[in-house]
Amino acid sequence: MTAPVLEATDLVIEYATKRGRVRSLDGASLSVGAGQVVALVGESGSGKTTLGMAAGRLLAANAVHVAGRLSLAGRTVYGPDGADEAQNIEGLRALRRDVLGFVFQNPVAALDPTMRIRRQLELAAGGAKDDIPAALEEVGLRDVPRVLRSYPHELSGGMAQRVGIAMALRRRPRLLVADEPTAAVDATLRAQILRLLVARCREQGCALLLLTHDLHAVAEHTERIAVMYGGRVVEHGGTGAVLARPMHPYTRALIGALPGEEASGQRLEAIAGVPSVLRGPATGCAFAPRCPEAMPTCHDTRPVHGTVDGRDLVCHLHTPPRPPPDHDAAEPHPINSGEAAR
Amino acid sequence: MGTQLGEPVSVDAIGLPGGSVARRGSRSWRLPFRGDVLSRVGLFILLVFVLVSVFGRWLPLGDAEAVNAGPRLAAPSGHWWAGTDSLGRSVLPRLVQGVGTTFVLAGIAVLVTAVISVVIGMVAAYYRGVVGEVIVRGADVLFAFPSLLLAILLVAITGPGMTGALVSIVLICSPLMVRVVRAASLSVVGRDFVVAARVGGASPVRVLAVHVLPNVAGAAVVQATYALSVGMLIESGLSFLGLGLQPPKASLGSLVHEGAVYLPIAPWLVLIPGGLLALAIMAVNLVGDGLRDALDVRGVEVRR
Repeated sequence: MTAPVLEATDLVIEYATKRGRVRSLDGASLSVGAGQVVALVGESGSGKTTLGMAAGRLLAANAVHVAGRLSLAGRTVYGPDGADEAQNIEGLRALRRDVLGFVFQNPVAALDPTMRIRRQLELAAGGAKDDIPAALEEVGLRDVPRVLRSYPHELSGGMAQRVGIAMALRRRPRLLVADEPTAAVDATLRAQILRLLVARCREQGCALLLLTHDLHAVAEHTERIAVMYGGRVVEHGGTGAVLARPMHPYTRALIGALPGEEASGQRLEAIAGVPSVLRGPATGCAFAPRCPEAMPTCHDTRPVHGTVDGRDLVCHLHTPPRPPPDHDAAEPHPINSGEAAR
Repeated sequence: MGTQLGEPVSVDAIGLPGGSVARRGSRSWRLPFRGDVLSRVGLFILLVFVLVSVFGRWLPLGDAEAVNAGPRLAAPSGHWWAGTDSLGRSVLPRLVQGVGTTFVLAGIAVLVTAVISVVIGMVAAYYRGVVGEVIVRGADVLFAFPSLLLAILLVAITGPGMTGALVSIVLICSPLMVRVVRAASLSVVGRDFVVAARVGGASPVRVLAVHVLPNVAGAAVVQATYALSVGMLIESGLSFLGLGLQPPKASLGSLVHEGAVYLPIAPWLVLIPGGLLALAIMAVNLVGDGLRDALDVRGVEVRR
């Protein structure tokens, strides 16, 4: 595999609030290879957005980097002990400029209301005026001259999001972070926009980190999926394998809560309990209080990172607190007991 | 899914039905403040004042500083339109000069205020930590002084004259404007397009100048109008106390001051400059209200 474009290792980020620190990332590890399309899923508050924004060190001013590291295209964004690009603002800006692109949830808010689209596209490319109409044609916009003359409020949400994608890809970034890019778009346009986003990224060889709730879209478009819970990436592997045979109980619950082929009258399985707010490092597994398969160790020992069947897992059921298992371990996985429990 | 990448949606299709909802661009040739009679009246009065203050000195009204040009304390009449003062000077040219002094001085001071406050306010919003806090607290301290007291204090330092009045107006008007600009900027710097600009590697100066400034300009302009009326009031107040522009130069405040002694026998010496000052401030405030309504989207919705 090529060198990862984004690599987070045991990243811990806390937000300083008036009522003390709130831990948003509690040792999150994630690796995105060059050109990979990776989905980052998890419920609200699981740390998806924090991880996405941390990639460019774009977190709010009250965010505190506690531990762990994050590197972008081989350059350190968050170092283990302050040895990071933040000491070098120019370097950080150059890094963002060269490597990173963002697509936002609300496309209209992502455009400056006081500026025509043409000017915004120029600014997005550092003032370059060439190929601007082509950039809009590539994202499927017709009537390009008119769009270029428009102000953002004169565009529909779908058009604005296409413009947003064009702007994000103008500088040919190596990693595009898309934070629920279709959440604010009409349902009929969602599939189109997402298909466009993924297609454009693949054409440019740009890695895509797609933050989303939409598992159907994930299944259709992405090659890898990372599931977050309580500030950690609890399961990360090939999309097909993870969705077909989820190993972490949270992943399983997430898929179980998805509307699908239930018979009429059949209830969807909601995940019991509410997500907890972390004030410090979780003592055990953050999901343990809500986990149907929790064991005593789950409550008092932090699960460590392990690799099972080529996927990363943070779960006592699969990675017991003993030497990490071999990649090709033939031993039966406790997943079977999990299936039985359902 | 019928179409691959969406129908060819044109801007007109999603846009503005008929001509009833004005687009910003097409509004420029119309009279400002559509449907807002008070603001139009205010604007008209303000324009007259501005024209008088700029071109008044060339009006053939006689010499503002010529002593014994006529009888002392003559009432307004066909010959002395605004009467004469205690030194026999014709009051009308003095009024014109006074309006000019008050408007030009307050205008310059407000321009300076606006530039300083907009920069400081945006910086305070962008650097929310220590820098922002120091700026806001500093503004609070200035804000806490009664304005005329602060003005007198400053004039005591600088000495009476134009500089003192200028500095006073700037220091009195800045705190409020800094806070307004900071509040407006705070809501802008958190928006996605600012993050997008930062992702693009834009420097703070670029973000503030290119993205934040145009978005807070409306609020700043409205605030500047109000600052203009406060500035005129302060300039007049200082002149009234003899701390502004020094005689024989006239300002509206010093005219009131000179006339105050003769109030029982020559009330026009006070009433005319006082009335003009009130009229000017009212006009400026009406224009400010109109601008606020015109620039506030919600206000527009409500009124239609």
